[in-house]
Amino acid sequence: MATLTTLRIRRKVFKGYLAVFLIPSLTFIAVFFLLPVILTFLIGLTDMDYSFKWNWIWLDNYIKILSDRWAYKIMMNTFFYVFSTLTFFNVGLALLISIATTHVNELVGSAFRALWLLPRITPSTVYALLWLWAARGEEYSLFNWILGFFGFKPIDWRLTHPWLIVILVNGFVGTSFGMIIFTAALKSIPEDYIRAAKVDGASTLQIIRHIELPLIKWPLLFVTAYQTLSLFTSYEYILLVTNGGPGLYTTEVWALYSYHLAFAQYGGIVKFGYGAALATILVIIGIIMSIIYLKMFRFSELMTEPKIEVV
Amino acid sequence: MRRGQLSLVTVILLIIALLVGVAVGYFAIPRGPAEDVEKIIQERDQLRQKVEELTAMLQPGEITVKVWTIGPDPPSEYRLRNIEIAADILNSMLEKLGANVTVKIDGEFFVRPVEWGEYKNNFYLAYQAGEAPDIYLTGHEDIGFLAENNYIIPLDDYINEYWDVVYYDIISTLWDAVKYKGKIWAVPQDTEARPMYFRKDVLRALGWSEAEIEALPKKIMSGEFTLYDLLDLAKQAKDAGLVERGILHRVKEGYDYFQFYLGFGGRLWDADAGKMVFTEDAWRKTLQWFYDAVYVYGVISPNQFSGDWDNDFHFPFTEGRALFLSGGTWHKGEWIQKGLLTEDQFNENIGYALHPAGEPGKSPVTLSHPLVYTITKLAQDRGVADIAFILITLATSPHLNSYHSVKSAHLAILYSQISDSRYVQDPFLHDVAYMLEYTTFIPNHPKWGDYSRIVFNILRAVETGDLGPDDAFQELKSQIQSELGDAVIFE
Repeated sequence: MATLTTLRIRRKVFKGYLAVFLIPSLTFIAVFFLLPVILTFLIGLTDMDYSFKWNWIWLDNYIKILSDRWAYKIMMNTFFYVFSTLTFFNVGLALLISIATTHVNELVGSAFRALWLLPRITPSTVYALLWLWAARGEEYSLFNWILGFFGFKPIDWRLTHPWLIVILVNGFVGTSFGMIIFTAALKSIPEDYIRAAKVDGASTLQIIRHIELPLIKWPLLFVTAYQTLSLFTSYEYILLVTNGGPGLYTTEVWALYSYHLAFAQYGGIVKFGYGAALATILVIIGIIMSIIYLKMFRFSELMTEPKIEVV
Repeated sequence: MRRGQLSLVTVILLIIALLVGVAVGYFAIPRGPAEDVEKIIQERDQLRQKVEELTAMLQPGEITVKVWTIGPDPPSEYRLRNIEIAADILNSMLEKLGANVTVKIDGEFFVRPVEWGEYKNNFYLAYQAGEAPDIYLTGHEDIGFLAENNYIIPLDDYINEYWDVVYYDIISTLWDAVKYKGKIWAVPQDTEARPMYFRKDVLRALGWSEAEIEALPKKIMSGEFTLYDLLDLAKQAKDAGLVERGILHRVKEGYDYFQFYLGFGGRLWDADAGKMVFTEDAWRKTLQWFYDAVYVYGVISPNQFSGDWDNDFHFPFTEGRALFLSGGTWHKGEWIQKGLLTEDQFNENIGYALHPAGEPGKSPVTLSHPLVYTITKLAQDRGVADIAFILITLATSPHLNSYHSVKSAHLAILYSQISDSRYVQDPFLHDVAYMLEYTTFIPNHPKWGDYSRIVFNILRAVETGDLGPDDAFQELKSQIQSELGDAVIFE
């Protein structure tokens, strides 16, 4: 009994320590996440512009969004952009590269992954500029030059296939994040499991399907959830490559729409209030998506306290 | 204002008054009785004594004036440089007086990739942080918003006080551009016209004689050559394989597009009502013209609005790969400075005219967007508004402003500049001066930026084929109605 009481006391002290150690990060979250969210929500209830006046119009901005005939198209664009980039690149290609490069010679695998990091370490404006040159409509642009060998006529890629370019530009950068996480997870799988499977006669595909993928479930959850939220709020490459065009809101996503109205008007007239209301909707979607992911991947199981404790 | 600064301002005022007084005395008062001359000398000596007394009172030190200006074209650097020269002049005056005070300029001149929107954002955010400039150069159309929200101070008293120094000389129509609700809020810095440039060499290759080429601007001016003639001619040149592109226009949002609307008889501003205007017939025709230009005549690229300045605007035209370019006078300055054209090549191969009328019976047009120096409320709070105004006054001289006009190919703001030695030697500035008779200003309305943004989005949709001309018109009208409502008159 005495041992149990001691354990309880120790656990309380431990929790106390934890609380103390969490204060800095909780403060950080409060200042850099909670406070901006509250401010964004409050500004969304005003018609604030560069006069910085808190003129309360309450839910008018949200009513306006509901009657904004382009809001639906822009929301659909956003889902399309997030789903496509996430599926084909940020998770799909990242997983494929991780698996492929961990199943080949170590040196070749590492070199390939290092190369794939290049877009990540290139300044976004330079990276976008390279794409702009590559996708231009003239016959000497990279894409058209290559296709020219196969007899294709030059096309203006940003005009004819804007989504393809937007997703490629974002995907090539986005892949590297998942690639690093998945590779680290795959490498942390004990060799014994793989050897045991091989002894049992499992093929490489079977090892991937029945051992590696189940064992990297948590990193998969993390990357999917993190990249979904990240893509929902990302717009800088779209801004640089198509600026939401080429037509009327063709590649405009929700975050870019909010940015355009809140900050980026040629005449310097801005709509902080309306932009903040749009951003608030993005925050709500993000929270809902997070909850869905956490439920779907049973995140609570990961965070459950161990049933036994080694003292 | 601190005592030292008050004294400084008084001294400078007295110096300027002294100079004006002596000049007026010399030129205006008839040579005559010796007693009059004696009286003038006596008054001048009294004034000089007063100046010396006040100078002795000045607190020694350095007064910093923060100035923000923008090109974004690099040749417009004299927007800042002239204020710096003005500070040098002021400092030498103070030194001569023995005042141990200097004025220092903490200046910024923004150029591309910083565009107007970003520059203005920077200003408003810097203002909130208490770091805004004392002198802020901006487009005249912002005055309404800046004035309404106390970002800038009215300048009527200053201008009245210094009227005889230089302000009597400002071209009178420019005062309209800096007025809002009956007050003057800024000092004009420059203005410009937006010509339709054309390649003379391409027209020669099409079989035009020199006389025909030289007559084109006149045909445009008389309204004989319209926007649809422009399409025809551009198509001929393209079909003949002489050019890759027929007509180029700016690749980003801006105000130039409104010239097409004005050419079809559209109005932008109703001064009596103080409202912006949406002329339905003109907008219908403008959208139809843009659609025809891309999809019927094939002379504007459907992706022109997504292009970049060099590859889709400057290079194709200066290299002779496009026939027409809807630009601004300042582009000539940019081409010369960037080395894309020499003066000789420009004179030999480039012609310029007004923007043609949309259809017979309408008038050709151009659009002016005067840039202006404003003084911020922050400058007043810091006690440097008076110094800032003196700097602007000294920079607004025919001599200094002509540096700017000639280098950046902007037009004069002072009557006396038209006879300035450097200004008159520039044939281009001389040739385009007449365009100001056909000009329109952008409305000084706080919501003008919204009007411009909506128009840009719709024009882009028409060019890329997202919207046909009829749908585009309905969309344009509906967006203007829902976003701007009462601020716009529909006619």
